[in-house]
Amino acid sequence: MLKILIPTFMLFPTIWLVPGKWLWTATTAHSLVVASASLSWFKWCSETGWVAPNLYLALDPLSFPLAVLACWLVPLMIIASQNHVAHEPLTRQRTYISLLVSLQVFLILAFSAMDILTFYVMFEATLIPTLIIITRWGSQTERLSAGTYFMFYTLLGSLPLLVALLYLLNDTGTLSMHTLQYIQMTNPDTLGTMLWWVACLLAFLVKMPLYGVHLWLPKAHVEAPVAGSMVLAAVLLKLGGYGMMRMMVVLGPLTKEMAYPFIILALWGIIMTGSICLRQTDLKSLIAYSSVSHMGLVASGILIQTPWGFTGAIILMVAHGLASSALFCLANTSYERTHSRTMLLTRGLQMILPLMAAWWFLANLANLALPPLPNLMGELMIIVSVFNWSSWTILLTGLGTLITASYSLHLFLTTQRGPTPQHFISMDPSHTREHLLMALHLIPLLLLVLKPELMWGWCF
Amino acid sequence: MHTTTLAMNTSLLMIFALLIFPLLTSLSPTPLHKTWAVTHVKTAVKMAFLVSLLPLFIFLNEGAETIISTWHWMNTLVFDINLSFKFDHYSIIFTPIALYVTWSILEFAFWYMHADPNINRFFKYLLLFLIAMITLVTANNMFQLFIGWEGVGIMSFLLIGWWYGRADANTAALQAVIYNRVGDIGLILSMAWFMMNTNSWEIHQMFINSQNLDLTLPLMGLILAATGKSAQFGLHPWLPSAMEGPTPVSALLHSSTMVVAGIFLLIRLHPLMENNQMALTTCLCLGALTTLFTATCALTQNDIKKIVAFSTSSQLGLMMVTIGLNQPQLAFLHICTHAFFKAMLFLCSGSIIHSLNNEQDIRKMGGMHNLAPLTSSCLTIGSLALTGTPFLAGFFSKDAIIEAMNTSHLNAWALVLTLLATSFTAVYSLRVVFFVSMGFPRFNTSSPINENNPLIINPLKRLAWGSIIAGLLITLNLLPSKTPIMTMPPLLKLSALLVSILGLLLALELASLTSKTFKALPNLPLHSFSNMLGFYPSIIHRLTPKLNLILGQKIATQMVDQTWFEKIGPKGVSSINLPMIITTNDVQKGMIKTYLTLFFLTLILALFISII
Repeated sequence: MLKILIPTFMLFPTIWLVPGKWLWTATTAHSLVVASASLSWFKWCSETGWVAPNLYLALDPLSFPLAVLACWLVPLMIIASQNHVAHEPLTRQRTYISLLVSLQVFLILAFSAMDILTFYVMFEATLIPTLIIITRWGSQTERLSAGTYFMFYTLLGSLPLLVALLYLLNDTGTLSMHTLQYIQMTNPDTLGTMLWWVACLLAFLVKMPLYGVHLWLPKAHVEAPVAGSMVLAAVLLKLGGYGMMRMMVVLGPLTKEMAYPFIILALWGIIMTGSICLRQTDLKSLIAYSSVSHMGLVASGILIQTPWGFTGAIILMVAHGLASSALFCLANTSYERTHSRTMLLTRGLQMILPLMAAWWFLANLANLALPPLPNLMGELMIIVSVFNWSSWTILLTGLGTLITASYSLHLFLTTQRGPTPQHFISMDPSHTREHLLMALHLIPLLLLVLKPELMWGWCF
Repeated sequence: MHTTTLAMNTSLLMIFALLIFPLLTSLSPTPLHKTWAVTHVKTAVKMAFLVSLLPLFIFLNEGAETIISTWHWMNTLVFDINLSFKFDHYSIIFTPIALYVTWSILEFAFWYMHADPNINRFFKYLLLFLIAMITLVTANNMFQLFIGWEGVGIMSFLLIGWWYGRADANTAALQAVIYNRVGDIGLILSMAWFMMNTNSWEIHQMFINSQNLDLTLPLMGLILAATGKSAQFGLHPWLPSAMEGPTPVSALLHSSTMVVAGIFLLIRLHPLMENNQMALTTCLCLGALTTLFTATCALTQNDIKKIVAFSTSSQLGLMMVTIGLNQPQLAFLHICTHAFFKAMLFLCSGSIIHSLNNEQDIRKMGGMHNLAPLTSSCLTIGSLALTGTPFLAGFFSKDAIIEAMNTSHLNAWALVLTLLATSFTAVYSLRVVFFVSMGFPRFNTSSPINENNPLIINPLKRLAWGSIIAGLLITLNLLPSKTPIMTMPPLLKLSALLVSILGLLLALELASLTSKTFKALPNLPLHSFSNMLGFYPSIIHRLTPKLNLILGQKIATQMVDQTWFEKIGPKGVSSINLPMIITTNDVQKGMIKTYLTLFFLTLILALFISII
């Protein structure tokens, strides 16, 4: 663990001590080294599934992929924000990168925490850098309200969680993930226990976000700078899914009936948010809503609580992390050229930036879950496990895949195809940096097709 | 290892290697040479065809079939997914045909697209399209089949939308994907069902494990999937719209890839279906409806490509009928023969369209037989084969299908519809030949008519040979798995021919009417029904998206998200809290006199109470 954590901490001195002209190069290189080193986690294996190098931190097949994803994303965020932060004063650039790196630290600690309470603290700690990134580096005044929404939605969900966790700690004396699965809850039918159940999951459902408590997400995505959007879509949402999968083992017999309304809401949310995507005019908002719709599928997969559901959820989380982050980067590349997020103004770009169009196409295919991409593996497994629960759900999930395909291709057609409008008078060619960024998103996604067991969770 | 097995497996995997090789060369960073399309792609397909003849001959000689399981891909608990290829008589026969037809189409495409700056990319797409189709055909695993299934779907999106500057092309491409996605819901449904109930996606294991189960639900899913992919009634409009793509794309899409995938899926999984009357009847009726409806639409179209496209749709309906008759092998036979003449018809129309300065309207053609004799001869051969003229390719499959239908005691309604559609086939085929190659020219005088190019002549000749002898060859070599009925009354035996001849005569009579003013106005409602495609697109293409978009805008965005969720959530909380905040705030405004007075009064009051 320290092998990764110490180099990550050492990123801070790198950021603050390196000469200004080397700032971006050095931090990118350093964080890429950390990211590649983190791949060694895949080689860890043990009989019990857990690998615990010390008393506080441990990883198991559920958290490996997400922890690696968190590490992988930092160099990508740095590469992505290079252009729009570069004209700011040097100190601010350093602060910005420090924030990104601090997020990585919190995320690694959150995914590798052995104790639920440590996880909770880290889960909350990620709010701080994200909030600063959104409200300080966002470009419009609405960023403040987006920050408020982001903060209060999450806090409203997670304070009950704290109470629930303390109650559990009081009851059982430990919150270690090793022992958590052996806890037997007594008298599961009282109102208090039900409230406790809700409190345990609410924070994560808000974070996912579940349809109904998702308003903060599109706002945060629209207002955040590109790195904020990337990390939000790729990893922060996955904290919710990860936390839910961890808590599920404790919640035991209660979940069977209690989960029904949430599953229904999540599945219904797929259709509703998908339809919203069909009518979105704002590029980033569209991608954000598509995240909500995919996360609805993940939420239902987790709430079903079958091995297939869990496996599908973790696969879809990793795959969606890469794909949606790639889409946000692409949205940013066209934003940097046209200075508008409105889809009507960023049309017909294939003529001008042909290679970018290829990336758009690949990213959209990943978003609409083309086989054999991991996105499809995940979606298919979740659809199957939800179908196993009730066969009528195929109507919702099937319609969801139809709508997803429609808006993904609509996004592609609108932004890339068609005649090029007249107002693109001078446009930067696409930079190697941007192509590298896209390649680093999509190549892992393609490689995961060949070795999917890396993100298969507990059930491989 | 036994030599037969070794030769068979090696050559089968070699086909894939040969086809993938050009894709690998295209990944090199140096720009591809202008002739890469011919030197790499076309050659690879040709070589793959020649290699694929080896397993075909081994199969014909020894009846060898094989399943190659190579790689354990993923598993969840006890459910595993492998990479596994099935080479049974269906895929062994279909693969060479697909490669042969594609080879001809590629050669033609090099001439047709020679002015396109991205011709190499175009060929790469065509090759990927073919690879996806071969993956689908050879898959022995539902997941692998799904890869090919979606692969052809997405490649058709790219190819139909090849001229992406045009809004029509983009719409048609999107339409194809959306209609196919509706079908995919069915495929996903049945995959989920099979996963649940048979715990396997390997096709042969599915057959064994599902023997005592009620398969109606998954079969309906499969039929829905085939409906989407093979453009059966209800999900058919994407197929004629797909004409927005370049002609070679249409040729490939309609002959040996994509549209036959749905029918092929049902043929492949037919053992599941053969005892389920519900599913068979659905196929029969759906197919009959499709074949008649699309044949009717073809009658009054004026775009040459549209007519050929609707004839494909009609033939697909016929294949579906055959599956409903419980005769998958006949459906397969029809797929094979249909590939040759349909590809040829498209290439002919491409050649004619090119010769007449991109004119697609058959009313502005005519007399091509004198100006482009080879093309129009091939057009005639193709039309005759399509009509089912004896001893051309179409005859062997089509006649057998109609015979099987006549002698079965199934739905008479479906039989009547199919026979009607068969006679319509003769009508619209004659119409094409009549308008294009007969009579006098009606086009502009300065048309660059030139068909003397080996890149046109060779593919056409090759496909013409195929259209003439393929039916005979396949029929002679394929052992029927179901007993065909050999004896029947002469009228039933000849009925397919009779209705075709009847249609032909009728069409000739109608054609002679064009130069006479027999009636001042034709019967417009009937004509409009057929010409407007049964008003289906005008209703469905407006209503469904509109409803969905209203749902998206009015309900999902404005009502639920922006109003209710905001009101209940953040706005509601703030409006509840605001009055309290304001009240508390109002009291504390630094008015020291008021505070002191209040303090004084309360103090007095407290003292007063304590004294008492």
